[in-house]
Amino acid sequence: MTAAALHPFEFNGVVRLTKVGTTYILGTVILAIAAINTGNNAIYIAVALMLGCLLLSGIASKGGLKHLHVEIRGIDEAWAGRPADGMLRIRNDSRIWNVRDVVLFSEGFAAPVLVPVVARRSDVLVNVQFLFPRRGLAHVNAVDSYTRYPFGFFLKKRRLRVESEVIVYPRLVQEDIARERFRPVIGEESTATRPGAGSELHSFREYVRGDSIRQVHWKKSASLGRWIMKQHEAEASRSVVVVVDPYKPRGASDEDFEEMISSAATFIYHAAQRGLDVTLVVPRVTLRARESEAASPLFRALALLEPLHEPLHQLLEREAVLFAVGRSAA
Amino acid sequence: MTRKARELETLLLTVFAAVPLYFTNAVGKAPVLLYQLAMGAIALRVAMGKGPDILPANLMRWLAIAYMPFYFVDWRFFSGSAIAASTHLVLFIAVYQPIESMQRDNQAQRMLTTALIFVASLATSTHITIVVFVLVFALLMFRQFMYVSHIETVRSIGAAYAEPPSGRAALFYLAGSIAIGALLFPILPRVRNPFVSGFAGSLGSSATSLSDTIDFGDPRRGNADATVVARVWLDDDARASFTPIRLRGMIYDRYTRGAWAQTLRGIREVPSRGGAINIGRARGREGGAIVQQRAQRGKLYLPVGTYSVDGLPGRLYEGPARETYYTYADGMLNLSVRMAADTEPLRLTRIAPVDFPVTPEVAALARQIVGNETRLDRRAALIEQHLVRNYRYLPNTAASTAGMTIEDFLLVRREGHCEYFAAGMVVLLTSLDIPARIAGGFYAGRLNPLTGYYAIRREDAHAWTEVWDGTRWLTFDATPADLRPGSAPSSVLREYASVLGDSLTFIWDRYVLTFGLGDQISLVEDLIDWGRTAMARARARAAQEIGALTSTPYVTAFALLVLSGALVVFFARRRGPLFEELARHLARHGIEVGPAMTMEDALRELRTQKPDAARALEPLIALYEEERFSARPERGRAMKLRRRLRELRA
Repeated sequence: MTAAALHPFEFNGVVRLTKVGTTYILGTVILAIAAINTGNNAIYIAVALMLGCLLLSGIASKGGLKHLHVEIRGIDEAWAGRPADGMLRIRNDSRIWNVRDVVLFSEGFAAPVLVPVVARRSDVLVNVQFLFPRRGLAHVNAVDSYTRYPFGFFLKKRRLRVESEVIVYPRLVQEDIARERFRPVIGEESTATRPGAGSELHSFREYVRGDSIRQVHWKKSASLGRWIMKQHEAEASRSVVVVVDPYKPRGASDEDFEEMISSAATFIYHAAQRGLDVTLVVPRVTLRARESEAASPLFRALALLEPLHEPLHQLLEREAVLFAVGRSAA
Repeated sequence: MTRKARELETLLLTVFAAVPLYFTNAVGKAPVLLYQLAMGAIALRVAMGKGPDILPANLMRWLAIAYMPFYFVDWRFFSGSAIAASTHLVLFIAVYQPIESMQRDNQAQRMLTTALIFVASLATSTHITIVVFVLVFALLMFRQFMYVSHIETVRSIGAAYAEPPSGRAALFYLAGSIAIGALLFPILPRVRNPFVSGFAGSLGSSATSLSDTIDFGDPRRGNADATVVARVWLDDDARASFTPIRLRGMIYDRYTRGAWAQTLRGIREVPSRGGAINIGRARGREGGAIVQQRAQRGKLYLPVGTYSVDGLPGRLYEGPARETYYTYADGMLNLSVRMAADTEPLRLTRIAPVDFPVTPEVAALARQIVGNETRLDRRAALIEQHLVRNYRYLPNTAASTAGMTIEDFLLVRREGHCEYFAAGMVVLLTSLDIPARIAGGFYAGRLNPLTGYYAIRREDAHAWTEVWDGTRWLTFDATPADLRPGSAPSSVLREYASVLGDSLTFIWDRYVLTFGLGDQISLVEDLIDWGRTAMARARARAAQEIGALTSTPYVTAFALLVLSGALVVFFARRRGPLFEELARHLARHGIEVGPAMTMEDALRELRTQKPDAARALEPLIALYEEERFSARPERGRAMKLRRRLRELRA
């Protein structure tokens, strides 16, 4: 994050004096001078109390943050450029200090998170929105914790170490553009000649462990004396093959490559949303998704796809949709 | 707590901060009252859900602008002091700020203003009750700080207002701050700024003075002030002879223009000899005492019979009247005095009777009282007894005796307060041509058993008579003894409360209010002494212990201990690491574990050659790997592995 994008509470270093703190310290100094000048012990009492308060403030804020530990939990799905819901578990191991008004922030957070209170020797769960700018394997290694507690004299900061890896799916192209550009029309017009989840009967086969009882062809099973299963022809309208060519030609920018990946991801996303069977072909890997939930391996593959600098020959099916840098979709 | 409640708390805190101003002389009561009424009106409006604008905001702004020149007018013409004018200004700002807060957030400034009012209150207060005020104020202020801290935090990230920390948290931090503050208080430097003279609030409430004259034409004010004027620690042998204590500070030895006054003789330094300052000559029984007091405008109140004073940090002066004493020493004084039953003045002079216009009726009364007695002291005693028995003491010195003359007191009313008794006796003695004078000061005082001192309070002010017998002044007191100050009976509970209060006040005065550089030096000296003593004790003990350690039983025990340790180390080394033991076992099965092999590799090889032996060894290898690589240490795992290896070998 650049300096220009710093939040008002962010700063470099570990402690910053606030306006209230500056005023307080000035007041204490003036009062201390008055005490020395007059020798009035009543003022000395006030000075001692104010210094005590100042010291305690520093000790409390440091002691409180020192014993905080953060764990990141439950980021199910994270898309580049889109907020993703997750949770933070904040644990306070301190035996003495309750910590209040803690602001947590990390580069992976969509916005700072306020934790009103973490009582000593307890933990809290807070919802947090993550926002990752790029696809790929994102690491959240540190969360910065800030607090003004107890008196607001200092803004204390402590970097909390966390171990968290998130696979960030590619950025999806804007929905209105996507609807127009990535409508998977091919599959709707052609027929498929392979077994699938369609309604037309394609062939029969032997029972395989795990088959649904609903697929049993009772008549043939009875006549042959063993389990015979129906195989339906895959509905052409429900299948699409997406081929992503990771070759990045010389002269193409990283943005071009990312845009291509985003286009492919958006295409797959919408296809999966429509309930189509989606097959993704990337070098050495072919992945298939039958339902939208199961499309995550495809997105994960796209998230981790690295550009190749040498062209790679891939066999293309006739109706496959190809995504490549510098080439338009077939 | 809602925002409205918070706002009310802020307002009430600002009102509360000014309460001690009523009890000090820093500002008049009227401005403080006006301020509190205005703040009360603001608080009332806020409580009713309205804005704090008791006056339109624009008008208030104009008033604020107009106040700037008014500040100087106030300073010059109304208050007459910068402190008072500044306090007025701060009070005005405190009223202005809640109204200003409607337009912009000024919470931090409001807290600063509140703190300034608090400082003004604190700087001019010396009574122990200020501690309670400081604690309550600090608690409320901490709540405010926490509130502002919370608001600033939520504002910085655009979050919603949540419930800020409670009063319990503030209490916790208050306790912590007091603990740290208590440690800091004695070590904060007590070195006065040598360049700019400061202005301290009046510490007059710790001391008192009597008036310079006694004028019966002016009504006297009743004085029920329990403020401690002095504390006197009497030596055990002095208690019988020198109680009740009389502290004398004023001598009224002439009558002029209808009033009793002092004969002014100027200020004369009393020479010091070897630290002690002699102010008289001792005769009769002697005793000693420590008198702690703060000289009020330089005046010292010394016990009657004092002939020597020690421990005064400055010089002692006699004057302006004879046998009254002054010093320029500042702060609380702890004087060591020596007293004698009869003390003669250092310089004997001729003392004449007071030049009082004695009427024939009064002279006749005096003659009637003394009868045929010729001895001066007996004559005085007869007059004293006559007044004690036949005259009534009026504890209330107010209107009933206003304007009453001595003649009225002696011949008509026959009642009055102590000054009438003292003056009446002087007049009667004067009519007999006996030199006498009125002495003013404090009488009696109660022993505080907790601290062992006699607390003498302002309400113990008293007047008595002193009669010159040619060489010394004899003390007589015509006021009935059971009606003198401090003689009023009080309940046990009240007595206990009084004693406890005295002790607290003493601790407050001695260890807080008057804690100074000298105390700090003493504290450091004590600490050094303590450290030296502790070191010396430790050294002595160590020498003793070392002597004991060289004895046979200790040497034997030590040798046994060393031997056992050596044996443990020997066997531990002999056993070798687990890896080596497993390797030795595998070697027996013909598997040589090379430097690049892991136990897993060795086991794999053993499986191909001796599957049965491998099967038996497999759990041990697993246990070894767990011990070697697991993040969780488990006590006894290594021992278990060795035991099972031994079993396997067997």
